[in-house]
Amino acid sequence: MNDDSDYYAILGVPQDATEAAIRDAFINLLPQFPQDVSEQDNPAYGRLLTAYKVLSDTERRATYDSLLRETAVSPLNITIQASKDQLQLSKEAQIVYLLIDILPPAAKTQTQRPLNLSLVIDRSTSMKGERLDHVKKALEILIDKLAPDDIISIISFSDRAEVVVPSQPASDKQALLTKTRTIFTSGGTEIYQGLSAGMKELRQAPLPQHTNHLILLTDGHTYGDADLCVDLAQKAARLNIGFSAFGIGSEWDDQFLDKLVAPSGSQSQYIETPDQIINYLQKRIQGLGSIHARNIRLSLDLPQTIIPQFGFKLSPFAQPITLKEQEIKLGNLEGRRPLSFLLEFTIAAQPRETRINIPLHFTADLPERHNHTVKHQHQIIVLDNPIHIAPPDALIKAVRLLNMYRMNEKVASDVQAGDMLAATRRMKHLSTRLLELGQTKLAQQAYSEGDRLETMGTMSLEGQKKLKFGTRALLGQTIAALNSDTNDL
Amino acid sequence: MICKDCGASQLEGTLFCSECGCFLLDAPSKPTFILPFSDFAKHDPTPALENFKPSALAKPLILTIVIPSSRRRFKMEIVDRIRIGRADIHANIYPELDLVNDNGAEMGVSREHAIIEASANGLAVSDLGSTNGTFLNNSRLSPNMRYPLKNGDELRFGELLIHVLF
Repeated sequence: MNDDSDYYAILGVPQDATEAAIRDAFINLLPQFPQDVSEQDNPAYGRLLTAYKVLSDTERRATYDSLLRETAVSPLNITIQASKDQLQLSKEAQIVYLLIDILPPAAKTQTQRPLNLSLVIDRSTSMKGERLDHVKKALEILIDKLAPDDIISIISFSDRAEVVVPSQPASDKQALLTKTRTIFTSGGTEIYQGLSAGMKELRQAPLPQHTNHLILLTDGHTYGDADLCVDLAQKAARLNIGFSAFGIGSEWDDQFLDKLVAPSGSQSQYIETPDQIINYLQKRIQGLGSIHARNIRLSLDLPQTIIPQFGFKLSPFAQPITLKEQEIKLGNLEGRRPLSFLLEFTIAAQPRETRINIPLHFTADLPERHNHTVKHQHQIIVLDNPIHIAPPDALIKAVRLLNMYRMNEKVASDVQAGDMLAATRRMKHLSTRLLELGQTKLAQQAYSEGDRLETMGTMSLEGQKKLKFGTRALLGQTIAALNSDTNDL
Repeated sequence: MICKDCGASQLEGTLFCSECGCFLLDAPSKPTFILPFSDFAKHDPTPALENFKPSALAKPLILTIVIPSSRRRFKMEIVDRIRIGRADIHANIYPELDLVNDNGAEMGVSREHAIIEASANGLAVSDLGSTNGTFLNNSRLSPNMRYPLKNGDELRFGELLIHVLF
C-alpha cells in the first residue's frame, strides 16, 4: 500500500482513531487549501476528501479496514527464486536450488536497541606482539564508537579467564581504555573459560532490552572443551545472545568456530593479517547496531520426498547454514543489505505429473511483534514436457561460487579418506575454475595446494584457510554486487 | 546427467559439476538483439581525440553511474579503464560494468560494447565495434576511436541509457 492510498496516513490519525478524531483531523487540514479549491486541479485535496469520505462512513471504513488487514505488508519482504519451476517426470532424484532474499524495510522501521557486548580475547602466548597490539588498537577504536548507553565487558583468557572490564555502560571511556592496556600474554588456549566468563558478564544486563552479543577473538585450537563451548553457544542462542568468532592466523579450528556461531546464525571469519582485525570488528559492530529483525528462523516441515542437502547464507555475510535441526537459524536482518541464502534440495523420483509444494515458514522477532511468522510456499510443477527456462542469473552466480567453496571442502574429505588422487585432481580443477573467474590469487593458491597434495599428500593450514574463506568471501561479494547501491560503495 | 567435461555422473538439475566445477546447463549465450533504428544519428559528435594516452590514475576516480531504466545508481572506481558490456561465462567475458541485469541483451548491448579509459588529462570513451553502437550525448561514435567524456555526459549503448557523473 503506498502513501496515496493510506487514508489514515493522509489524515494523520492512528488506525483506531474515533469518529470525532477523524473529523477533527479533517477540519484541521482544510485551511491548507485555498477557498476555491477543487478536486480536479488539486490532487492532494482530492486525496484528503476521499480519505475523509471513506473513513467518516462507518460501513465504508469497515470495508477499508478489512482490505487494509489483508494487504498489510509484512515487515519481512521475502522473494524466492528457484533454479527450476517445472520439473521433468523422472525415475531418479533431481536437484532444485532456491535463492531466498529477505529485504530490509525502509530505514525508519529499524530498531535501535543499545548493545550489550562482551569481547572475549585470547591472550595465549601465541598472541604476543603484533596480534595483541592490533587487538588492543581495535578495542580502543571500538570503545570510542560505543554509545554511552551501550554496555560492554572485556574478558581475556588463556587457560583461565580474567574479567578485564566487568559489565558496565560505555560512559567512562578513559577508564575502559586504561583497563584494556593491562592485557598481557601468557599460557595456553581454553576457549570455554573465556566464553563462560563472557556469558556471565552479558547476563548482568537486562537481556530483552539489548542486542546481546559475544565476540570471540582467538588464534589457536582449544584443548578438550570444544563440545562444552558449542553447548554454551546453543544455550546462549536460546537467551538471545549471539556469538561471532574471529580466527587470527592459520592455527585455529575453522570447523569449530563455524559450529560455535551456527546456533545464533552469526559470523565466523578468518583474519589473515593482524591489521585486518579492526576492519572486521567494526563491520560486525555496525551490523549489530542496525538490526531490522532479530533471530530469523526458517522451519522446513518437508514431506519425505524433499530433502534439504545444503544451505549457505550469502548476505550480509557469507556463512554455512546448519540444516540438521528442524529450524534453520538465519541470524538477524542487519544494515542495508538483504539477508540472502541459498538452499539445495533433492526431490525424490517423480513418476507422475503433480505439484510439489515446498513450505517455507519464517519466524522473526520484530520490534513490535515477537515471533512474527510469515508463511510462504514455493510451488514446483512436475510435467512430462516441462518448458526449460534458464535459472535466474543471480542464482547461477551464487551456485557457481558455492560449488567452488564445496569443491575445496571436498578436497579435505578426500584427504581424510586417503584418496590423494581425487584430492589432487579436484584441487587442480578448482584452480582452473578460479582462474576462469579472474581470481588469480586464489587460483594460484589452489594450484600450489594441488602440487602439495600431489607430492606431500597434505594441504598447508594457511592455504586451506585462504581457500575456504577466500571462496566464502567471493560468495558474499556476489550478492553485494547484485544489490549494489550507493551505500555499499 | 553426465558432466561433459570430466564424465562424472550428477543428479539432474545440478548446475555445476561437483567434481570439476563445469557449468552443466547448455543454455546458449544470449545474442545481442539488433535494434531496428541503429542507423539513427550516425553523425560524429565532438571530434575524436588524437593524442589520448591511457594511463593509470595515481588516485582512483569515483564515477557515479545512473541507469534510469533499471533505477540503478551506484559508484564505480576507475583506475585505468572500465569495460562495458554483458558478462558471458561461455565466452569468458567479464566487463567491469556488466549490463546483463539491466536487460542489456534486449536493449542491444553487445558483450564487449565500449570502454572508458583514464588518463592524466581526463576520461575517454570508445565504442568497441558494437552491434548497435555507442552514443555520446545522442551522437553516434565511430568505432574504436576515443572521445572525451565529461562529467554529466549521457552515454547510450544500443538502447540502454546511462549517465556518468564524477
